[in-house]
Amino acid sequence: MMKKYFSVCRKEVLLLIRDKAGLTMLFLMPVVLIIISSLMQEFGWNSLKKDPMVQVLFVNNDLDSLGVTIRKGFRQSGSFEIIDSLNHKPITESVAREAVKKGDYLIAIVVPEGATRCMRANVRLSVAKVLAGFGFGNPSLVNSITLKDSVNVTIYFDPTVKKTFKNAMVSSVRENYYRTQSEWTFNTFNQEMAVQMPMYKPSNAAFRDVLSFREVFPSYREVEIIPNTTQHNVPAWTIFAMFFIVIPLTQSLIQEREGGSLFRLLTMPVPYMTLLLGKVGVYLVVCMLQTAAMLLAGVYLLPLFGMPTLVFGNNLIALFFMTLVVSMASVGYGLMVGTIARTHQQAAAFGSISVIMLAAIGGLWVPIYLMPPFMRTFSTVSPLNWAITGYYNIFLRGGNLMQVAPEITRLVLFFIFTVLVTALFHKFKNPGNS
Amino acid sequence: MSEKPIIEIRELTKIYKGADEPAINAISLDIFQNEIFGLLGPNGAGKTTTISILCGLFAPTKGSVTIDGHDSHAEPAKIKQIIGVVPQDIALYPTLTGRENLTFFGNMYGMYGSQLRDRINHYLGEFGLEKHADKLVNKYSGGMKRRVNLIAGLLHHPKVIILDEPTVGIDVQSRVVILEYLKELNRKGVTIIYTSHYMEEAEHLCTRVAIIDRGRIVTLGNPKELLVLHPEFKNLENIFIHFTGKDMRD
Repeated sequence: MMKKYFSVCRKEVLLLIRDKAGLTMLFLMPVVLIIISSLMQEFGWNSLKKDPMVQVLFVNNDLDSLGVTIRKGFRQSGSFEIIDSLNHKPITESVAREAVKKGDYLIAIVVPEGATRCMRANVRLSVAKVLAGFGFGNPSLVNSITLKDSVNVTIYFDPTVKKTFKNAMVSSVRENYYRTQSEWTFNTFNQEMAVQMPMYKPSNAAFRDVLSFREVFPSYREVEIIPNTTQHNVPAWTIFAMFFIVIPLTQSLIQEREGGSLFRLLTMPVPYMTLLLGKVGVYLVVCMLQTAAMLLAGVYLLPLFGMPTLVFGNNLIALFFMTLVVSMASVGYGLMVGTIARTHQQAAAFGSISVIMLAAIGGLWVPIYLMPPFMRTFSTVSPLNWAITGYYNIFLRGGNLMQVAPEITRLVLFFIFTVLVTALFHKFKNPGNS
Repeated sequence: MSEKPIIEIRELTKIYKGADEPAINAISLDIFQNEIFGLLGPNGAGKTTTISILCGLFAPTKGSVTIDGHDSHAEPAKIKQIIGVVPQDIALYPTLTGRENLTFFGNMYGMYGSQLRDRINHYLGEFGLEKHADKLVNKYSGGMKRRVNLIAGLLHHPKVIILDEPTVGIDVQSRVVILEYLKELNRKGVTIIYTSHYMEEAEHLCTRVAIIDRGRIVTLGNPKELLVLHPEFKNLENIFIHFTGKDMRD
C-alpha cells in the first residue's frame, strides 16, 4: 500500500512542477503579499508613532506660554509636523477650519486668545485661596472672587480620522495643559509663600515628573523579543497565505474529478484514502515550503525595505510543529472544500471568501480584544485564530512546544475533522466505493 | 464462446434518490467468458448506471452482480482486480507524459518495476505510440489520447474489459487500430463489454448485444440473429430505432 501511496505522491509532484505558472503563484504571491502588507502596516498607521508624518495646523491665538508649551509638546512627541503658516501667512482659525473641511489636512488645533492669561489667573487665585485658608493675605477678598471659566482649546478633525487617534490627540493636549498648570501652581505657591512668610526659603527643586514608564514584554524565555510590525505581521499574513492553499488544492481535486481520472482511479484496487492522503502529503510539503519562503522573506527581504528583521524566537521545534499543524489544517480545509464543491467556480469563490472570513474573525487583521463580545466568541472557533495564537506565543512570547500544545491539539483535531468529512462526503456520493 | 457465464446480473435495479423512475429496472443477464458484449441504448437508457454497478462504484438498490464468482457490491476489491475500465472521458493527466500516466495507473493496479515497464513498452508498441511515449498527453492528438486511455485499462491483463464508447470522436485509423486490438484480445480469451452509439461498429464487433431503454432490456441477441428475427430491418441501427423510438433523448 505504501508503494501506491508514494506513486500518488509522485504523480502529484509531477503535476505541480509541470504547472510553472501555478508554482510561481504558490511561492511568489505569498512572499509578495507578506512584503506589501508589512510595508503598508509599517509605513501606514505605524508612521503615526515614528515619523513626523501627520501634519497638524496649529493656530496659536494665545501667543503666550500655554500655546508655546502645547506646540512644544506636539513637536517633541515626534509624531506630528506642526504647521503655523500657509502660503507664508500665519494660519487663522477660519483658514484652518476650511483646510480640514476640504480634507487638505487631518487636524487643526486652535489655542484661544488669552488662554495663558486665564490659566495663570486661575492658578494664582487657587493658590491665594489655599493660603487664605491659613490666614495669609486678604481672605475675605480672595474668597469673594470666583474662578474664571475653563479654557477651550478647539481641535478640528477630518471625518476620516479614527476615534483612537482623536483620543490620542486630545490626551496629548490635555497632558501638556495639566503639566503646565502643575508647574505654574508649584512656582506660584513657592513665590506666594516667600511673599507671605519672609523666613520661607523658596525651593530650588525644579518641577519634574516622578512617574516614568518602562515597557516590558513578559515572555516565557529570558531573551525578550521586542514586538514590532514584522513580528506581528509576518505570522498573521503567513497564516492567511497558508490557508489559500485551498485554491490550488481544490482545483486539483475538481480537475481530477471532471477530467474522469478520479472515475478511473475508483475502478482500480486502490482505497480512496490512499489517493486523498497522497494529495495531503504533497500539499503539506508545499504549504510548509511556502511558509519557509514567507518567514525567510521576513528575515532577509523585509529589512531591505527598512523594516525590522523577523526573529524566530528560541524554539525552532515549536515553530516547526506549529507550521506543520497549520499546514495540516489548511490542507484539510482545502480537501473538504474541493470535495464538497461541485465546480471550479464554487470552490474558488467559497474557498477564498471563507478564508477571508475566517481570517477576519480569527483576529488576523483586527486584534480580538478590539472586537465586540459576540465576535470574540466566534473568533475562538476559527482555526486561523488558533494558528495566530500559537504563532504569537512563539514569535512574541518566546513560547515552547508545551506552551503551544493547546493550539497544536485544536489544529490537529480540525485536520482530522476535515479529512473525516471529506471521506464521509465521498462515501455518501459514491456509496459503493471505499 | 464459453458456456460458463463470467458475469451474472440478476434482477438488477437502481433507483436514484429523488428519481421518479428507476435508472435500471430488474435487469437480468448472463455474459459469457470470451464474449464481446454490446450494451446499446439511447442517452439516459441506463448503460452508465449498469457499468458503474459492474465496476463496484455504485451499490444496486436491488439485485446482484457477480463477476467471476465475486459479488460486485460485497467484494469490490476483488472485482477491481478482475476488470479493466476504459472510461468515455479521456481519463488521463494532460500534463504528464503518456508513459508517466501509464506508470501511475499501472502502479495503482499493484504493478511496479520491470514487469510494468515491459508491459507499457509492449502496449505502446502495439498502438504505435513508442515515439510519443515521453511527450505530454496535452500534446497528443485525439486518437493518440484514446489509445493511451485504452492501454491504461489493459495494463493489468484483466479478464473483463469494460469500454464506454472507446472510439468516440477519433480518426478512422485510430478507430481501426482500437477495434482490431479488441478483437485480438477477445481471441486471447478476454471478455469485453462495450457501449457505443455507433450501431455499425457494434454490429461488426459484438458477438451479442443488449438494447436497453428506460432501464430495461428491450432486446438481446447476436446481431446477425436479431436481423434474422426481424427481417423487415436491414441493419442493427433500424432495429435499435424500432425498439427505442425516434424521439430525441436528453
